[in-house]
Amino acid sequence: MAMAYKNTSDKAPVGVIGAGSFGTAVANLLAENGEVLFYSRRPDAVELINKERINNGQAIHKNITATADLNEIADRCYLLFPSVPSDSFRQLMRDASPHLRPDHILIHCTKGFDIKLEEGKTILDKDLILFPSDIYTMSKVILEETTVRRVGCMSGPNLAREIADFHPAATVIASKFEEVIKEGETAIRSKRLQVYSNNDIYAVELAGVLKNSMALAAGALGGLGYGNNAMAFLITRGLGEIIRLSTAMGADKHAFLGLAGIGDLVATCTSPLSRNYTVGARLAKGETLEQIIATSSEVAEGIKTVSISKKLADSTDIKLPIIQAIYRVLFEDLKVEDALGYLMEYRFGYDADYM
Amino acid sequence: MLDSVIPKIKDWPINLIALKKDKIMQASIADTLIEFNKAYPTNSKIRELIQKTLYLERIRIKTDSWEVDPEDENEFWAKIKKQLFVADPSLIEEHKSQELHQEMLHEIVSRYTHEICGNFKPGVFWMARQVLRRIFARLFNAHFGGFKGLFYPDEKLKDKLIVAGPVDKIRNLVTKGTVILVPTHFSNLDSVIIGFGMDYIGLPAFQYGAGLNLFNSKMFNLLMSNLGPYKLDRRKKNPIYVETLKSYSKTNVIAGANTIFFPGGTRSRAGNIENDLKLGLLGTVMEAQREHYFTNPSTLATKIFVVPLTISYPFVLEASSLIEEHLKRTGKEQYLTQENNMPPWKTVWKFFWETFSKSSEITLSLGEPMDVFGNNLDDDGFSLDKLDRKIDVRQYFMNKGMMKVDAQRESIYTQMLGDKIVAAFKYNNVVYASHVVAFVAFELLRKQLDSPDIFTMLRTPEEDREIDFDSFKTNMKRAIDELYMLNNRKQLKLASHITTKELPEIIDLGIEQMSMYHPNLPLLRTKNGNITSEDLKLLYYYHNRMDGYGLQKYIG
Repeated sequence: MAMAYKNTSDKAPVGVIGAGSFGTAVANLLAENGEVLFYSRRPDAVELINKERINNGQAIHKNITATADLNEIADRCYLLFPSVPSDSFRQLMRDASPHLRPDHILIHCTKGFDIKLEEGKTILDKDLILFPSDIYTMSKVILEETTVRRVGCMSGPNLAREIADFHPAATVIASKFEEVIKEGETAIRSKRLQVYSNNDIYAVELAGVLKNSMALAAGALGGLGYGNNAMAFLITRGLGEIIRLSTAMGADKHAFLGLAGIGDLVATCTSPLSRNYTVGARLAKGETLEQIIATSSEVAEGIKTVSISKKLADSTDIKLPIIQAIYRVLFEDLKVEDALGYLMEYRFGYDADYM
Repeated sequence: MLDSVIPKIKDWPINLIALKKDKIMQASIADTLIEFNKAYPTNSKIRELIQKTLYLERIRIKTDSWEVDPEDENEFWAKIKKQLFVADPSLIEEHKSQELHQEMLHEIVSRYTHEICGNFKPGVFWMARQVLRRIFARLFNAHFGGFKGLFYPDEKLKDKLIVAGPVDKIRNLVTKGTVILVPTHFSNLDSVIIGFGMDYIGLPAFQYGAGLNLFNSKMFNLLMSNLGPYKLDRRKKNPIYVETLKSYSKTNVIAGANTIFFPGGTRSRAGNIENDLKLGLLGTVMEAQREHYFTNPSTLATKIFVVPLTISYPFVLEASSLIEEHLKRTGKEQYLTQENNMPPWKTVWKFFWETFSKSSEITLSLGEPMDVFGNNLDDDGFSLDKLDRKIDVRQYFMNKGMMKVDAQRESIYTQMLGDKIVAAFKYNNVVYASHVVAFVAFELLRKQLDSPDIFTMLRTPEEDREIDFDSFKTNMKRAIDELYMLNNRKQLKLASHITTKELPEIIDLGIEQMSMYHPNLPLLRTKNGNITSEDLKLLYYYHNRMDGYGLQKYIG
């Protein structure tokens, strides 16, 4: 049973909001299946994309048109993929809210948290206490700021550079709504991207964010010159901590054994290209956090994630030795070698205790 | 007391619906059959469905029959058994078998629909209202002095039965669409008190599903059968009954019946505010709203408004039996008898007497009305976004500009609505002194005793339950400070007796409120001025009301 209400179109373009490297990779993937409207808030970037057909070192597919008009993208597209950093995600949703309608579907690609803090506080404050209810995943931000209900996320081992280089990859589209998964899959699935589904969007989102702290630790191990044994130790026990923290936040553990969990964790911890990995490696070489921040254009997501995870662990009484160790390296001037020594002495006990 | 929004009882939606109840029953039966033929598309599946229902019904009749049950139950199901034998597809032609099964299904659905259907008679309603008002007037009279009180009951009623929240807005919405009231559920008296409270603010009577167990009482049966409620039999868990009930409720909502749904399903056993809702009936509200948009694609489609309601009692009539049941359930006790009667009238009378004649009150705290998607509404019932712009909610049922039925989508919308309702229950909760003293005393005792589990703690002998009063007072102060913080952040509400009284008075009042009604006192002062409890289970029950606000951190 279906009833026409207003202009209907199966050929409406798909929208991508945010012209960073991952947004560009997503736009190119979508463009293989149809028309794409690509939003950047910077008119000069839009002009460049439309004229030069290149962005973030990636060639732009012929089916992509860039725009700096949020109204246009909301008006013409039913399906939108927001892909902006978590720091600006809430503001973006506030800006987009007047243009968004109840029949929009939003599948975000942002692996980060949004924290509501009191005036003047920052997530890096040492005395800050956090509870799970203070922490918003991006889907919760969308639900809170807009009238859109049909929300999903795309997450998994999807390094932008590799997608840009046309390497094969797999991703997870998670949503409580089967309709959202179906629309997302139809739009983005291609010969170079396999798509899996999951109904547990919260767990998939948590997996995508929390792995960032492990990437820092991986960078540190790499910086110290250690090999695969140490890396496997970190990845497996790191997964345990991610699961323990996530279940304390109310998530189910199954998603963590899939692409968006262990899959993303392996990709991030073994890729020396990511910002998080680089920060870890520089710490291992003896630089302090201040020095690293002073010379980076963006704060690596992992630094925020470590701080958030540690503060959550404090308020929920769960034990996260790896995260505690990274926290002390970042914020309490503990040397990376000493942190590792602490972890080697720590009595973990039973191996797969998180399942 | 406010004027009735719709002055004449005969013009109330509930009466207009009662006048065409045969038509509504027919529509409901038709809807149920369509749903079944969708869900059970083959003859053999329908046959299995009927067989399963027959099996469950025969067990129910044998093991759990009630006075209110129809006399011909055995015959009816014996007849179905025979028909099933005749309709066996291995013995007759397929199309004949199909026909016979459809007939049986129709018969069962029709029987259930007639069982469920309620009635409304304006005259009976008018009388019941007069009687109830007199009774309440007598009760206030006892407290507010002498013979004169009898003639001015209303003046004091507003202090005893407080209806708080956006009353004017809700009064307006009743004339703009269909209102679904979703209250917390603590007591069998909830529906009477809510009914009285909503009448008090001038709303036309609501329909609701009353547990069939209540109709076992003859007097109650006689009265209630004509006051609008439909009957809800919790013993019947067979799929035909459940679907029939859902269709009946949906058909009524579509017809415009303002309805009360207790989304918690049954009364809260543990005494906590519900956080785990039964979404079945709420789902029918979503379907009803979609039906309205399908049948009327213009903006004139009837809108459904959802209004959460949190009830606060100083003490709960059935507290003892509820907490016992909760403990048995969590203690994994295998066998549970269902309480199948109204409490005796004497108990009910005592409850009202103690509530209204002493220094206590009942609060019905109405939440902000919302559409079925949880959006805010303006005074005329238009849905608003966060920036107060009007939004076209029919688009929630659309995909790429097309209206489409998507049951999975609607089930998630219903879950989301449930989450909004649970949140509203909590921040509309009006906290009483009794709730706070119970919480603080129990948490202190929990820390003091350090028992391995709740069951061990509840068995603590009376002499070991004493709490030092100074420590209690300090912790009460901390708890109340935090409650003020939560109140500022709009996460709960405080009763006026908390905001206007000093700490020692709040403590005395809290202990008094809880102890007015129960023979074994949940809390009392000892001779040396400390605090103790004669009934830890009850104390636990009242403590649970404040669960989920994170207050534990401040105790000890």
